[in-house]
Order: sequence, then C-alpha cells, then structure tokens
Amino acid sequence: MIRLPRQETKLMVAIHGWSGIVLGLLLYAVVLTGMTAVFAKEINTWSSGHVAQKSAFERPIDDSLQALAARTPAEFHEAVDVFEIADGNLGLFFHLHEAAPSGEVIERGVYYEVDSAGDVVREKRGIGEEVFGPSNDDALSHFLIDTHVQLHVPEPWGLLLTGILGLAMLVAAVSGLLIHRHLFKDIFTLRRKASPVLVNRDRHSVAGTWSLPFAFILAFTGSFFSFYGTVGVPIVAMAAFGGDEQAFDDAVSVKPEKPDSRPHLTGTVNQIIADARARTGALPTFVLVERFGRADAQVTTYQDPEPGSIEPLTLVYNGATGAYERTTPSIGAKPSLGGTLTAIMEPLHFGNFAGVASKAVWYGLGFAMCYVTLTGLRLWLVRRRESIPTLAWLERAVTVIGFGLPLALLTAAVGFLCAVPLGSAVVWTPAAFLIGSAISIVAGVALPTHALLVTVHKFAIGGLLLGLPLIRLATGGPGWTSALMARQPMIVAIDIALILSGVWLLIRMITAQRSDNTAPVSLQPAE
Amino acid sequence: MSPAARKWIRITFAGPGAVVVALTVMAGMALWLPGGAAGVDNLVIPLVLAPLIWAGLFFHACLDPRLGRIAVVALGLFTVHTGLLTHSLLDPVSAMEIQR
Repeated sequence: MIRLPRQETKLMVAIHGWSGIVLGLLLYAVVLTGMTAVFAKEINTWSSGHVAQKSAFERPIDDSLQALAARTPAEFHEAVDVFEIADGNLGLFFHLHEAAPSGEVIERGVYYEVDSAGDVVREKRGIGEEVFGPSNDDALSHFLIDTHVQLHVPEPWGLLLTGILGLAMLVAAVSGLLIHRHLFKDIFTLRRKASPVLVNRDRHSVAGTWSLPFAFILAFTGSFFSFYGTVGVPIVAMAAFGGDEQAFDDAVSVKPEKPDSRPHLTGTVNQIIADARARTGALPTFVLVERFGRADAQVTTYQDPEPGSIEPLTLVYNGATGAYERTTPSIGAKPSLGGTLTAIMEPLHFGNFAGVASKAVWYGLGFAMCYVTLTGLRLWLVRRRESIPTLAWLERAVTVIGFGLPLALLTAAVGFLCAVPLGSAVVWTPAAFLIGSAISIVAGVALPTHALLVTVHKFAIGGLLLGLPLIRLATGGPGWTSALMARQPMIVAIDIALILSGVWLLIRMITAQRSDNTAPVSLQPAE
Repeated sequence: MSPAARKWIRITFAGPGAVVVALTVMAGMALWLPGGAAGVDNLVIPLVLAPLIWAGLFFHACLDPRLGRIAVVALGLFTVHTGLLTHSLLDPVSAMEIQR
C-alpha cells in the first residue's frame, strides 16, 4: 500500500495524466512499432518472399572477404563489419573511423552485400547511416525499426524525441505506481458489471500495474539508447577527454598491446566462426575484423547470451593466426560493473535473451503497454468531456492514431509484399503507410459518429490481418510446406498469428454489432 | 513566500533544473567514479544512470514538501559537479591524475 499525502497524490495524478496526454500519442506510436520490431528479424524472414537454407555465417566467408578487400581502398581496411542481412545475404562494411565536424566519431567506407552464390548484389560508399539504408528485401523491417527508433525525424532530433518519450514513460510508470492507494487490491480488481467507465478504469489499472516493471525497464533502457550517442557520449567525452570522442571510444574498446602494421593476409574468419560456434553452441550475430590484412589483425565475434544469462558474449581472436585469445565483456578489456550494465541494456530492451520465448513475452507486455496508453488517454478524455466539449476532436485523434497506426502498418506490409517482386519495396513501404494513414485521417474527419469510426477501423484491421497471408502467397511468397521444408517455421507461425488475430477481432466486432453493445468503444460520462 | 512563487520554484527544479543538474552530474561523475577493473566504469556508469538521476531529481522536486531541501540537493549536486568540471577543464593534467 502506498500512502502519499492528499496534495502529493493530486500532483502525481496530474503528472500521470499530463505526461500521457502531452506525449501519449507519440509514445503509443513508439511502443506499438517497438513491440512489432521485437520480431523484426522474423518479420523479415516472413516477408522477404524467399527462404534461405543456411545462415550467411554457415557459408565460407574468407573468399568473399579477400576478393572485396582487393577492390576496396586500403584506407578502409581499418575495420570490417560482417553481419547477416535479409534472406541469408552477407553484409560487409569496410571502413575507417573519423571525426565529423561536430566531433562525433563516424564510420566511412564501402558497403557490400553478397548473396548466397557469392555475388555482390549491392555496393555503396559513404558513412554508416548512408550505407545501411533499407534494401528491397528488408524495407518492411527497416521501416518498423526506423519508426520506433526515431519516428523518421532526422538525427539527432529523432533520437532526442524518442529519448524524451522514454523519460515521459518513466514518469508515467512511476507516478502510476505512486497514485495507487491499494496496489495489491487494485491489480486483482476487474469489476465486469460496473459502469463502462469503471470497467475501463479497472482494465487500465490492472494492465498498467502488471506491466509496470516492464514499462520501467523499457523506458529506462530506451532513453539510455536514445541519449547514449546524442547527449551522453559527447558530454562524458567533454568531461573526461576534453571533447575527444575518439579517445572515449579507444578507452572503452580493447586495443592491441603492440601495434604491428606488417602485412599479413587474413584468411582465418571461417575457422574463427567455427571455433566460436563450438565454444558457445551458436553462430555469431556479428563479426568485426579490425586491422584487416595486418599482422596485428583482431577478429571479434559477438554471440547471443548463453542459456541462463542475459549478458551477450564477445570472443576475441588473433586475426592473423585464428587463435582464440579470450572472452571479453562488450565494453572494456575485463569484466566490470559498467561493462555488464551497458551490455545488458540491449537484451533488456529487445527481449532477445531467450530466443522466441522471451521475445513473445516482450511482445505481449508491449501490447499491454499500448493498451494502457490508449485506455489512459480515453479515461483522461472521459473525465473532461462533459466540462470541455471541444475535446471531441482529441477523442477522434486518439482513435485515428490508436487504430489508424496499426492499420497503416498493415497497409505498409501490403505495399511491401506487392512491391517486393517489382524491386520497389523501399519506395512503396513508406508510401503505403502514408496512404493507410491518410485513409484513417479522412475517415476520422468524414465519418459522422465516433462509434462508426472505431467500427470501420476495426473491420479494416481485421480484414487486413486475414488478408496478409493470402497477399504474401499471391505475390510469390513460399507456401507452408516449402517454408517448413526449408526449416523456416516462423513463416507459418506468423501466418497463423495473423489469421487468428484477424478472426478474433472480426468475431468480436460481429458479436458486438449483433448485441449492439458498443460500450467498450464509446466514451461515457465521467464517474 | 506566496503559493504561486513556491509552485514556480518547484516547476523550475522539476523541469529545466532536473535536466541541467542530471547532465552536470553525468559529466562530473566521470571525474570521481573509480574506473573499476576495466577502467571504464567512470565512463559508462554515468551514461547508464543518467535517466535514473533525472527521474530521481524530478520526483524529488515534485514530492518533497520542503522547497529548501529540494534546492539544497539540486544546487549541492550542481555546485560540486560544476566545480569538478571546471577544475578538469582548467587543469586537465592534474584532473587525469585524480581519475587514475
């Protein structure tokens, strides 16, 4: 039981309400896309239209690495990022590090995409943020992640905005906890036969309280990621190194004890990946080759956490000989509190520490957060609708964003699936999202009643959920048999999840229509 | 002090005050936190703690009934860390010695 004095409780209620009402709709957009982006890799597999038999890290990599190094200017051999991208293709970014005019350390170089046959399918020069743009195969997952990370607002403003939203979520979560007078009673109270307002308040309270620890973790880790590079590193580098961000990077990474610039052909990556797999039981998620082609070359493999742990592993190898040297933390040369805290931020935010199971939990809790945000906004509106009738526009705006955003994301998926065979998914994915958003906004303005607006949106979402697996098949996606034969059960699982969600939503709507029970979607006078 | 003045002082400490003090503490912590076994704790722990420091200052400014205590905590943290930063900027060599 939490007992704040009356005045402080009133203040907390006001802070809880206003933090939600001012930033709630943007926060909802970030949480909804983040919840979906938890499964970005799986959505990528589902949507890309063709199935890869093998991970890119299961194929020989050294030949591609050597051939691409030969055609890449030597200045970009300072480091090579190697990672898997859509459909088992391999991404290789040869780059150097340099200071931008702002003082920020950036990576500049040449990015290659290599398909399973070893052919280069994409080549681009530039800095990191230019070359890692979306491609035809991963435009949908890329779009989801970009929306979540910075709401498509240019850097650094988008990151700052999502960071502020993270802090607002932190405030809403903590103030939500503090305003409960009877916390343990409230989290089990669902009065199903009470007035619609009380029913909605109970649901908001129960969903919000159960997901409170999760909301706190998400808000904390999310604001950490948003502010890390935009505000945190420049400020700490200013304090500790007079503003030299490269010095900060050098301090938190592991450098060779004795630099040795003699040439030495690096041909050890295949052997290193096999060794890392043998040691950890899993393929790397990312490989970094530093000082490529030199005698002091170093290869680092980044691995998912081992069972029972949430801290990712980092294995360091001698790049010249392929010999295993040590397992290190992600930050620093030795285990330390700071390195561990920083390393667990990613698995805590993405929920990827226990495979699909933890991702499913994170998805479910993300859904609860979306529900809490929307019902919170509605409760705030209900309490004020009688006294401020002009808030009707906000009620419609909440509905247009609350239901219009998932609708627009589904139309983006439709646009992506239709455009992938034409090679124009990069353009049509955001274009379809905008079309879906425009339809939702027009409906919000044109439809005569709020109840009809909700009904139309729900039917449209249900129809699209049911239609997406069919559209995927119609546009050349693999059927269930071929997906299962290629050991890609995720394609089937996502199809089934979409169909079940669509059926559930439509049955709910049809039942509600028959019983003419629109109570859950209509706003009632405040209690 | 009038209730309106008290309200605005509280808003100043909870709003811009909490942001400025949290950023100053984050920067200053890099100078007094020990580096730890890997020599990175003083660099990364302030980055991890920054959102929590802000939240702590924000809720303290909202909930503490005594304005004087809010001011002492916020201005105390600000003064100590600004002093450390000023020392570090004016005399970087000895500041690095202290860090070690």
